[in-house]
Amino acid sequence: MADIETDVVVVGAGPAGSTFARIAAQHGLDVVVFDKRKEIGNPVRCGEGLGVAEVMKEGLDLPRYTYSIEIYGAKVVGPKGQEIILRNENTRGWVLERKYFDKWLAELAIGKGAKVYAYHRAFDVKRDADGITLYVADGDEKVKEIRAKMLISAEGMEALIARKLGFPTVHRLYDVDTCYQYEMEPYDHENLIELYFGNEIAPRGYVWIFPKAHKRANVGIGIGAHLATGNKRGGLPGATPKVFLDKFIVNDVQLKEASSLLNFGGVISVGEPINKFVDDRVMVIGTAAKQVDPIHGGGIELAMEAGVMAAEAAAKAFEKSDMSKDFLYNNYEAVWRSTRGKEIETRLKLRKALESLSDDDLNHIFDTLSGDDVLAVMEGKLAGPIAKVLKGRPSLLKVLKPLMLG
Amino acid sequence: MILIDHDECIFCGGCSSVCPASAIELRGTRVATYPEKCIDCGLCVKACPANVIEMFKGIKRVEDLPEEVRKKYNV
Repeated sequence: MADIETDVVVVGAGPAGSTFARIAAQHGLDVVVFDKRKEIGNPVRCGEGLGVAEVMKEGLDLPRYTYSIEIYGAKVVGPKGQEIILRNENTRGWVLERKYFDKWLAELAIGKGAKVYAYHRAFDVKRDADGITLYVADGDEKVKEIRAKMLISAEGMEALIARKLGFPTVHRLYDVDTCYQYEMEPYDHENLIELYFGNEIAPRGYVWIFPKAHKRANVGIGIGAHLATGNKRGGLPGATPKVFLDKFIVNDVQLKEASSLLNFGGVISVGEPINKFVDDRVMVIGTAAKQVDPIHGGGIELAMEAGVMAAEAAAKAFEKSDMSKDFLYNNYEAVWRSTRGKEIETRLKLRKALESLSDDDLNHIFDTLSGDDVLAVMEGKLAGPIAKVLKGRPSLLKVLKPLMLG
Repeated sequence: MILIDHDECIFCGGCSSVCPASAIELRGTRVATYPEKCIDCGLCVKACPANVIEMFKGIKRVEDLPEEVRKKYNV
């Protein structure tokens, strides 16, 4: 006899899991969510940027305590220091306080009737013809058995339960950026997210400065993990994200005088989504499915969006009593791939083109493009900006060609 | 096998997400490693943002590690 019986069990109470739980519970399903962290939303492993689109689409109103400041747009900086300002209606957003934002999303789910357990680590899973059994260990390592008709993996980067269910959630080194971040103070800013590019600055990645309230800022870096060389492995000494970030900071007029309040790091996915999101009685959503923007590594919006899609699919599945892989595919995975999936594909090609550019090429692009051009690129309208770049530097045709074909 | 400097580890789980052998897991407040599963590929060493993982190729048991290594990592 199981300790808990429910319609749906969700692994992970991040933005994906809590959004799923909220919508599924709203549809009348019994939903139980487990998160291994002692406190939902903590520790924070994120740059904390969120764009306006998803929140608007869902009609959510962020309470003041869930974010640090509002953002109007972005400042993108090239290797030589060229600045391009991106600012319009769609570039608005927030730098969140993830600790409170994630808790708020979980509370919304609880408000709709979902049950959330923090400090419960899912460690094993078994599936049979009639349902799924998930094994979780609480803070005292006491094991509980959860019996559900459906399981949602919203586990984030590691996705151990999804892995045990046969989903290819292991990341290739080439497809992750290894990241380091400080919270620093004081930093004067213009309510713009700042992104710095260049092979000397951050090979196959970028440095970000996400401003926060009270002159604080998240100052972080991501570099291609395949280019990082742990010096303990006997390779190039010092090619770690922290070393690159520290170099950036001592060269920055403001930051070199600033203090650091918090250090942390992590690994983010910049590769393609996994090749299947569903199986019988199972859906994988958010970062666990590698639904992450390949350019900037952001995953909150995509996670919330997939949470909504999967919850709608779950509601239909329970209505029709059909938890089959095919049903879940048609109602969640196919919908995602034909909409957001297309956009991610284009952005992955863009990432691959960008990473093959030298600083000289990057400088040419930064000197050539305007803010409107870059905004067009971000929206997937590549033809105009590419033509502009090629006009001054036809040699880039080879690199940019894959982008023009689709 | 690998050893982790737990004092310097920032507990991000990056090692676990790139481990192709499921030999690393976040457990409680510590990163657990399973030397018997480790295939000495070194991907975790490269992915680690804090640079706190060291690999010892071909070694499967703590007892077979050099004395100074065992002292350093307190294993």
